[in-house]
Amino acid sequence: MSTPARRRLMRDFKRLQEDPPAGVSGAPTDNNIMVWNAVIFGPHDTPFEDGTFKLTIEFTEEYPNKPPTVRFVSKMFHPNVYADGSICLDILQNRWSPTYDVSAILTSIQSLLHDPNPNSPANNEAAQLYRENRREYEKKVAAIVQESWNDDEDDDDEEEGEKS
Amino acid sequence: MSGQMSQESDNEYSDDHIEDDEDEYDNYYYDNNDDLDLDKPKKSDDPEYFEFDLLKVEDVERLLNEEVEALCTSLKITPSLAKMLLHAHGWQRSLIIERHQRDPEKFLVDSRIVADKKNISQDNIMGLTHTCPICVQQLSKDEFQALSCQHLFCNECWDMHFNIQINQGLTTGIECMGKDCKLLVPEDFICGILKDTSMREKYFKFSFTDLIKSHSQLRFCPGPNCSIVVQAKEPKAKRVECNMCKSTFCFRCGIDYHAPTDCDTIKKWLMKCADDSETANYISANTKDCPKCHVCIEKNGGCNHMQCSKCKSDFCWMCLGEWKTHGSEYYECSRFKENPNIANESVHVQAREALKKYLFYYERWENHAKSLTLEEQTFKNISTRIQEKVMNNEGTWIAWQYLLKAADLLKKCRYSLQYTYPYAYYLDRGGRKELFEYQQAQLEAEVENLSWKVERAEISDTGELENLMDIAEKRRLTLLKDFLEV
Ligand SMILES: [Zn+2]
Ligand SMILES: [Zn+2]
Ligand SMILES: [Zn+2]
Ligand SMILES: [Zn+2]
Ligand SMILES: [Zn+2]
Ligand SMILES: [Zn+2]
Repeated sequence: MSTPARRRLMRDFKRLQEDPPAGVSGAPTDNNIMVWNAVIFGPHDTPFEDGTFKLTIEFTEEYPNKPPTVRFVSKMFHPNVYADGSICLDILQNRWSPTYDVSAILTSIQSLLHDPNPNSPANNEAAQLYRENRREYEKKVAAIVQESWNDDEDDDDEEEGEKS
Repeated sequence: MSGQMSQESDNEYSDDHIEDDEDEYDNYYYDNNDDLDLDKPKKSDDPEYFEFDLLKVEDVERLLNEEVEALCTSLKITPSLAKMLLHAHGWQRSLIIERHQRDPEKFLVDSRIVADKKNISQDNIMGLTHTCPICVQQLSKDEFQALSCQHLFCNECWDMHFNIQINQGLTTGIECMGKDCKLLVPEDFICGILKDTSMREKYFKFSFTDLIKSHSQLRFCPGPNCSIVVQAKEPKAKRVECNMCKSTFCFRCGIDYHAPTDCDTIKKWLMKCADDSETANYISANTKDCPKCHVCIEKNGGCNHMQCSKCKSDFCWMCLGEWKTHGSEYYECSRFKENPNIANESVHVQAREALKKYLFYYERWENHAKSLTLEEQTFKNISTRIQEKVMNNEGTWIAWQYLLKAADLLKKCRYSLQYTYPYAYYLDRGGRKELFEYQQAQLEAEVENLSWKVERAEISDTGELENLMDIAEKRRLTLLKDFLEV
């Protein structure tokens, strides 16, 4: 069935394939266009460099009038990411605009890895280390970058299954 | 500080206030001309005097419409725009006109009503059709609308956007859907698009509330299910009583009236009490042991002057000290004695001292609040007592009315007294605090005297009780005059 949300998600997917932004990728799951898997590569010159972080994006029929729910599946250590992987980012809450698409969401999250906002901490430990002890912060981030490769291997079968 | 005034003096001011005399004279003259009702409080000697009107919804609608129309005529703009400007600038019409005259374009851009030239979208419709960036439908060009920012969206997407915003309670704050566009959507644009009439009704209902909230001279009565709106020329922290639902509240902040404490302080105090409710719970008990014979005594009236039912000793409910000493030294009971050396103590001692201080004030605050509810019972008891007395031919019903009047005044004094404790808690140490606590203690003493007498008065006590009422009210007004910010 083609609802406005589904029609729009098809357009978002097309745009993501035709004009892919650097360092992010995403696609609907096989059996449900309302649930997407995405990957953000840790940006260069940040402690997240070389990490491959997986996320899920869940849309409702109210998309794009309401933002989707975005969550890191890979373990994250970041001032604005909660323990359950959900993200504190204004455009996913009160500053959402129906003109944002999946590409805009993913690039916004990517730039959040660049520039954490320590004023709205979702992870107090990360926020405190980011402010006061950058070396320890980077050490903790390096650990989750390593972990992000591990869960790559774990899910390899699953991923291949999805791509076929 | 002496309460005695010379007999010749025709007002309560002493000689060092002589420069005020002319004002006093003016007010005196004015009052006499204007209101002949002698019972009515006068501006000059009542620190709680406040002029306000109670309006019905229709009255408010008319009032707002008049203001909107006046602005439309001055600026030659639509009512929808005028409403936006009034809402954004607290209904200060002269300020709006002045800023508009100085630079109309900049003013409208700053007020988020007209798009800044550099933010206007170049996304024009070239052919006969256009693709909506939100629903990606290709539609005929007359299906599209945009505000001055030229962010084009199809009517269906606008409608969806407005529905979602209104359901979240937004009306006057609804913005354009464009990326990073903060332009506000005017009422006529929204109503031109909303298909659902019930949604339109909802919009008007919510935006009416929004408009009143943005108006500094208006306030909704906070009473449950009450639709009265209070109007006052000056938005002051003064007492308002709603004649529909009988609630009384502060005009400026809308919560329970709180003189002499100001709006910010009472909010801080109430938040502190909510945070520390656990700590404070243990003092909420309604029973204490007699300090002499240790029998358990229950407090069942408002009065702090307790008499043990067993050993008949008189003591103070708050501090458990002998009542005799309270006549002259009430000061010691209502004042918290701070450790003068506290700055040099350890963190632990300081924390304990801070808690002790808070509990001291909290206990007195809470006690008056409780006494006030007990006073309701006293009021009922008095009514029954009067009935009995009249039946036994001890005075007429009319003659006994003074007692109900006294109970009423007692409530008023106790209420003010309750709100002196948050004030004292936040007051810095020094001369002003000492003066405040002195006056507070005086009021405490008079309130307890009155309370004790009201519970026991006979018909022959009329004169004495009236005298006590007079003193208590004078003490209350003196304290408010000196410490209530006007
Ligand atoms: Zn559309
Ligand atoms: Zn716009
Ligand atoms: Zn009311
Ligand atoms: Zn107030
Ligand atoms: Zn006793
Ligand atoms: Zn006492």
